[in-house]
Amino acid sequence: MKRFIVKRLGYALVSLALLSLTIFLFVRLTGDPAVLLVEPGASKADLEAIRSQLGLDRPIWVQYGSFVSSLVRGDFGQSFYYRTPVLELYLSRLPNSLLLAGAAMAFSLVIGIPTGIIAAVRVNQWWDSAGKIFALLGLSLPSFWVGLVMILFFSVYLGWLPSSGSGTVLHLVMPAFALGWYFAAAHMRLTRSSMLEVLGSEYVKLARIKGLPEALVIGKHAFKNALIPVLTLAGINLVIMVNVAVVVETVFAWPGIGRLLYEGISFRDFPVVQATVLLGGAMIVFVNLLVDVLYAVIDPRIRYDR
Amino acid sequence: MFRWHSLRRTASVARRSRRMPTLVPLLLAVLALAAVAGSGAAAPAGAAEGQATWAVHVTLAPTWFDPAETSGIITPFMVLYALHDALIKPMPGNPMTPSLAESWSATKDGLSYEFQLRKGVKFHNGEPVTAEDVKYSFERYRGASAALLKGKVARVEVLDPLRVRFVLKAPWPDFMTFYATPATGAAWIVPKKYVEQVGEDGFKKAPVGAGPYRFVAFKPGVELTVEAFDGYWRKAPAVKTLVFRVIPDESTRLAALRRGEVDVAYSITGPLAEEVKRTANLRLVPTYFTFTTWLLFTEQWDPKSPWHDKRVRLAANLAIDRAGINGAVYLGLSKLAYSFIPQGMEYFWTPPPYPYDVKRARALMADAGYPNGFDAGDLTGDTIYGVAIGEPVANYLQQVGIRLRLRPMERAAFFQEYGDKKLRGVIFSGSGAPGNAPTRLEQYAVTGGRYVYGTYPEVDGLYGEQAKEMNPRVRQQILHKMQQVIHEQVMFGPVIEPAFLNGVGPRLEVHGLGMIANHAYSGPYEDLRLNKR
Repeated sequence: MKRFIVKRLGYALVSLALLSLTIFLFVRLTGDPAVLLVEPGASKADLEAIRSQLGLDRPIWVQYGSFVSSLVRGDFGQSFYYRTPVLELYLSRLPNSLLLAGAAMAFSLVIGIPTGIIAAVRVNQWWDSAGKIFALLGLSLPSFWVGLVMILFFSVYLGWLPSSGSGTVLHLVMPAFALGWYFAAAHMRLTRSSMLEVLGSEYVKLARIKGLPEALVIGKHAFKNALIPVLTLAGINLVIMVNVAVVVETVFAWPGIGRLLYEGISFRDFPVVQATVLLGGAMIVFVNLLVDVLYAVIDPRIRYDR
Repeated sequence: MFRWHSLRRTASVARRSRRMPTLVPLLLAVLALAAVAGSGAAAPAGAAEGQATWAVHVTLAPTWFDPAETSGIITPFMVLYALHDALIKPMPGNPMTPSLAESWSATKDGLSYEFQLRKGVKFHNGEPVTAEDVKYSFERYRGASAALLKGKVARVEVLDPLRVRFVLKAPWPDFMTFYATPATGAAWIVPKKYVEQVGEDGFKKAPVGAGPYRFVAFKPGVELTVEAFDGYWRKAPAVKTLVFRVIPDESTRLAALRRGEVDVAYSITGPLAEEVKRTANLRLVPTYFTFTTWLLFTEQWDPKSPWHDKRVRLAANLAIDRAGINGAVYLGLSKLAYSFIPQGMEYFWTPPPYPYDVKRARALMADAGYPNGFDAGDLTGDTIYGVAIGEPVANYLQQVGIRLRLRPMERAAFFQEYGDKKLRGVIFSGSGAPGNAPTRLEQYAVTGGRYVYGTYPEVDGLYGEQAKEMNPRVRQQILHKMQQVIHEQVMFGPVIEPAFLNGVGPRLEVHGLGMIANHAYSGPYEDLRLNKR
């Protein structure tokens, strides 16, 4: 088991090293950040001065070497646009992203799992059709459109909720819904299919033959087993919500990591893009590592090092 | 509520006054104060109150809190006008208004400029503004055109605490244009002692200036809060707190404005601008800065190209319905352009307008040997203006037979290729760089300019002449002549000076938009006033 964990940890570190190189090179393919920091028509001397200030006049391997050596010290560099340490920026946005992702995840699970169970239990009936429509809309309506319609309805017409920003629970309601709906639909569909699979299994049939009440069969025997893939997906989705809720965060002016990444890309703020992608990647790698280890703990067959 | 308590307090005080006659004068004074407070009369000078909030379309950067970092775009001045002050700066009615300097003078030989500072002006931390701070701010400046400006200045001399002299290496007629306008931030003064004490990063985190508002808080990507500085030399601001809230999405900015969460929403375009216009209580206010758009016919210097014929270039200019584009894209609020130099720039020459005359354009095309038109290649522009304005332009040119393919490019990539002279066909160009006519000419029309694909010998000659001329009147004549030559050669196809459209809510009586010429944002902030109701 110990060897398995060390091996997986090694893979994780290699993945992150490759990610750092990839993002470092790819972000530079987007073009010259100096051009975006001046008004069109700026002189060549001004552009060169900015490149020199940002350290972009050095050879690319020197830039990468400096990036990696800083990274080892836990320094993600200084934002070109904000001129503040990127890690400071990232950490200032992280609580907002965690809050939004947490609320959206709670919403998606509270809505997605019960509707998925009902759709599976009442398969091919009215409830199932309603669930399918809910999932179809959730997966196909773009979140920016959902967000804007909500702003128009709940902020402008009804005046119940603030249109944008952060700071109170009321600010959280609309972005959490707009972000959570898509994931609620995904969780609903997975719960439904997982439940259908479990409900058709031998042990559920046996439970029913034994005369157990239907609520007990569904709640204890079927649901507990059907939940495993849903929670695995929810874990990965939570990381995605934290890191790439770009559209929702932009529409609602929510100061999270997704918007930081968007700003980084818009301004070609290389250190910001590198840090957000790398830290987001680290989160995904960590969650995957955790899932792998947990699987190995649960299922001895997965410990293939034996 | 306040009135009721005031009256009750006043009555109680009055009852006691019968028992204590010696306190009568004091009580009368209290009564008078209570009456003033209760009547809702204007607050006395210096007592700022209330809050005004802006929905800002761009992400606020801490570099904008530091004049030394001004990068040649107009946006940082949105913040600089609140936190800081300059020796000389554009103000309502005067593009070079004495501010921290009460006067300035230049020697006849144009080699030195002397500034007399205002007495008793203080930074937000209570330190006085001195000539030493002026020198330090200039030397510390590293923003747009820093190399150019410093290359021309031999030294800065502190004559006494309130007098400073800039000595130039050679006469430079544009010294004040670069020093005292938004072309640079070098004249915006920071406190030397404080910057040295807190360091560069510390200054960006807690900037101290001499402007009408002092820094309170900044949440990156969220908002900036500033508070009225009662000791501001010009006047005490009337609005106590200003909040600049970043709302990147245009529809959300409008929603926030309609709900009254913000008082001004910057950059509202197209159908949303129409909605602002239709909504009771909201106002649509255009502002203008030194931004204009034009076509560059890159092949006009190639004798084999149809664009080499001046009649073709003129036909293109006559085929564009500028008023139509303005009406469709900017609700008629932009300015029609007939020069690639914006109308608000110093030394601008007003050319005769090109009428929208398709018949004459077709005749010119036939005279030039292209009665059936020609394939003119690409019309390359950026993805914002190059599409919004470039697309209708391409359609108008099509109707006289000039067939162009619209090729929008990402903004930075576009300017990179434009500057590297890699583009062909017609370029949909635009610039909002501050400066004056000569600085614009240098970049776009004179040999060696970053965006110059070719020019005419007379233009180059006149440019060299004006650069040495210190007499403003003579210089103006030369620069006007230069623009006249460019117009006669039909070197460009000017299109429009786009307006910057903003929504204003009902709470602001004085919103400050358009008060300062060539400034896109609200200002001066100390002049803003909230509605009493």
